[in-house]
Amino acid sequence: MLRLIVQRLLALIPLLFIVSVMTFSFTSLLPSDPVDLILGETGTQEQHEMLRERMGLNEPIVVRYVQWLGRAVQGDLGTSFFNSVSVSTALMQRLPVTLSLTLVSALIAVVVGVAAGIAAALRPRSLIDRLATVGATFGQAIPNFWFGLLLVAIFAVNLRWFPATGFSPLSASPVDWLRSVTLPAIALGLSSSAAIARQVRSAMVGVLQQDYIRAARAQGLSSRRVILKHALTNAMVPVVAVLSFQITVLLGGALIVEQVFAINGLGTLAIGAVRQQDIPMIQGLVLVMVGLVVVVQLATDVIYGLLNPKARPS
Amino acid sequence: MKTVPSDGPAAAPSRRRRGASGSAAIVVVAGAILALLVFLALFADLVSPYDPLRQNLIASLQWPSAAHWLGTDDLGRDVLSRLIHGCRIAVIAAGEATTIAILIGVPIGLFIGYRGGWWDWVVMRVVEAVVSIPGIMVAIVILALLGTGLHKAMIALGILFSTSFLRLARGVVLAEREEVYVRSARVVGASGGRILLGHILPNIAPPLIVQTTLTVGAVLLAEAGLSFIGLGVQPPDASWGTMLSTAAAFMDLHWFLAIPPGIAIILTVLSINLIGDVIRDGVGRGITVAARQDAPVASFAALADVAPSAAALPPPRPDEVLRVEGLRVTVSTADGGELPLISDLSLSISKGETLGLVGESGSGKTLTGLAILGLTSVALRTTHGSIVLNGRDLRTLPRRRIEEVRGNEVAMVFQDPTTSLNPAFTVGSQIAEVLRAKHGLSKSAAWARTVELIDRVGIPRPGERARAFPHELSGGMAQRIAIARALSCNPSLLIADEPTTALDVTVQQEILDLFRDLQAEFGMAILFVTHDLAVAADICDRISVMYAGEMVEMAEVDALFARPRHPYTRGLLSAMPHASDRKPPLPTIRGSVPRPGTWPAGCRFSNRCDFKVAACERRIPLTGTDRLVRCIRADELVLEAAQ
Ligand code: SF4
Repeated sequence: MLRLIVQRLLALIPLLFIVSVMTFSFTSLLPSDPVDLILGETGTQEQHEMLRERMGLNEPIVVRYVQWLGRAVQGDLGTSFFNSVSVSTALMQRLPVTLSLTLVSALIAVVVGVAAGIAAALRPRSLIDRLATVGATFGQAIPNFWFGLLLVAIFAVNLRWFPATGFSPLSASPVDWLRSVTLPAIALGLSSSAAIARQVRSAMVGVLQQDYIRAARAQGLSSRRVILKHALTNAMVPVVAVLSFQITVLLGGALIVEQVFAINGLGTLAIGAVRQQDIPMIQGLVLVMVGLVVVVQLATDVIYGLLNPKARPS
Repeated sequence: MKTVPSDGPAAAPSRRRRGASGSAAIVVVAGAILALLVFLALFADLVSPYDPLRQNLIASLQWPSAAHWLGTDDLGRDVLSRLIHGCRIAVIAAGEATTIAILIGVPIGLFIGYRGGWWDWVVMRVVEAVVSIPGIMVAIVILALLGTGLHKAMIALGILFSTSFLRLARGVVLAEREEVYVRSARVVGASGGRILLGHILPNIAPPLIVQTTLTVGAVLLAEAGLSFIGLGVQPPDASWGTMLSTAAAFMDLHWFLAIPPGIAIILTVLSINLIGDVIRDGVGRGITVAARQDAPVASFAALADVAPSAAALPPPRPDEVLRVEGLRVTVSTADGGELPLISDLSLSISKGETLGLVGESGSGKTLTGLAILGLTSVALRTTHGSIVLNGRDLRTLPRRRIEEVRGNEVAMVFQDPTTSLNPAFTVGSQIAEVLRAKHGLSKSAAWARTVELIDRVGIPRPGERARAFPHELSGGMAQRIAIARALSCNPSLLIADEPTTALDVTVQQEILDLFRDLQAEFGMAILFVTHDLAVAADICDRISVMYAGEMVEMAEVDALFARPRHPYTRGLLSAMPHASDRKPPLPTIRGSVPRPGTWPAGCRFSNRCDFKVAACERRIPLTGTDRLVRCIRADELVLEAAQ
């Protein structure tokens, strides 16, 4: 398993290099001069020159890239153009918020998607299969933020079961955290659970026709064990392959769903940064996203290897 | 060698028809919705009752009324008018972003696919990088560089979605590059560009259309999302996304604001996705239509009901382990009918005996084995007969009891060991699991017994092999494991379905020897299903010959080989290769087993039989006491296995 992880990490190097170059080049792609952005029309010529010098903008671009990368690797992502807050500090404050939203919604999506997919696969063309298919079709057409608004109207405004807005950190109170994260996570997880249900259904239908399922039944193992252990383990192999993609989608969706619930996560940070063209912040956001995606991919690769012995390097 | 159809042979076409009419209705509705959308977008100014921007603060947040069909928003603007103008934004957005995506993606994809080399490598790494980041983040980054607004947001989305067109175009080029005609065109001297245009563009069109429908749906959702978070369409302009953004601020006061734009988005995206599905199916069907099999058309009313013939029941045998009487298995067809696959099958096996079940593929022999275990696929039903195992009729047992019987009293070895072992678990754990589930052994005891069993079936270094995964073992080794698993609970009946067919000839003999040894040691009865008479002669005590879902002959091995009584058995025997001469056997039976539903009404072998007479047009009973035969001329014909 360690070999697998190392192999995957090595395979990620070109990706990380390209992403870092792309991210770095934002500064040069920016139509306006960052110094102008920061100082606006007001600063004097000298102030502009001083800032330019301090930001290292006069160095050759390769030197600047290496310096930037060196600092980024050490966790120093620079300071915001606008409020001189350290980018890494700002990101670290928001990261747990977006991360808990994403992970809880991924959990919901997997549980709901797998359950619905199995139920549909066990009785093809039955009512439950049709319901799951229709549900999956709608699930992929409903915008997550609109579903979130609906949940707010019903469960927060009307029934008052959950708070309509805000986020409570897990460390402060696990109960409040769960209450604050439930509705947004459901809203976010809807379309992924639909996608996962489709995947599980088709994989499961295929696996249930395999000889080894018949053999397990012939051996007198209970249906429950045959379906949940023998069939599901194999059916999850293709599902896990799409899971890392789904988590990436959820991570992006979280940026929007956060706005529905007025949750102060990476999404709010990103929107503010876009409006102000706060490049260091955007760069930091991209790097954090890529970091998360890499971790998710590694994790799913490991699960994939556990489920599918043939994928392990021998 | 599988005789179990996965679905009713006649079931598929009518379901397809029903599905087709259902999808036709869906296409009409979805098409109408999209047509309405485009109409509203074009004539928004004429159709909408109010100016979408006109405010009326006195009449804000109103519920639907005659004056305002969908109510008013926080500034008293008419929601319906804003919704209609939102259609325009939606159409513009979808068109703009999709066009940009195609214009960027397709040429670059064609270029790098054609050029290959470094260009390809670098561009593909960039694409991978972009794709690995959440799409909305990519759009946010581009908007940070461009600034916000509808058109800039659509450029961002166009760039984002261009990656899928790029990969698509590149894939098509790579596939086409390999085609001979592209290479030959180059030899003739056509320029690179002409090759691309002439050969690749026609091939790219179908997947391009499919990808476009997918993209349009995704663009609409993304545009709404970006406008919702304030990075797309800017207020006060009306788009569905900005309307929802307003609604979000008033959820506690006037939740209805969220409903109209939400429904509009969902209906639009749903319509596009559904039409995309239909197009995708259409593009796919063009490829698969050739592979479709025609359903049998012959009427099978003649065979619909044949009462089990009491005369054919085998006499009771000493030490009987299994006794099957009058077994009938059917498949349900789309018109509610039942098509028989096995009819009126009776057999019995004693302790320590091996009964061969022999026939060509399609004769129903594998299905018989599965029916005894109650493991036929969902479309099949066992409608008649009894399956008495150790004195209990399995057909009357509830499911849980049958699960207990399986493994403990009867077990099965399948044809292909590489597919009958679960690829996800070690072979040892699959045996140990049975021991723990069926005998309640502890983990360590089950493992110890597993290693013993693996040793017993003749695998060297059993402790080590138990930790191997199925794909790490040879076919013969895997089949030994499957046999060890089947015998783990010491069943009184073992059903072996072509257990040597998938193996090398040398390994076959070893496995047959293993069966013989194990039978001598454990004393189980074996039902040995095979198409290979030589294998059956080697291992069986008695042989039942099956043809078209029924038994045609049953006899002791020596008697059967010395003097077959059914013309079909004779044909099988003459087709057997002889160990002495290497000449391939002559095909002495013309044609092949007719498919269920196309069986002749009288003797089912009559359309292939050289001895057919008029009397053969009637149903022929299975007759005899010690030897059974289903042929009206059995007594007069003197058949010998042709030399
Ligand atoms: S019954 Fe007639 S057709 Fe059938 S096998 Fe005997 S001779 Fe041939």
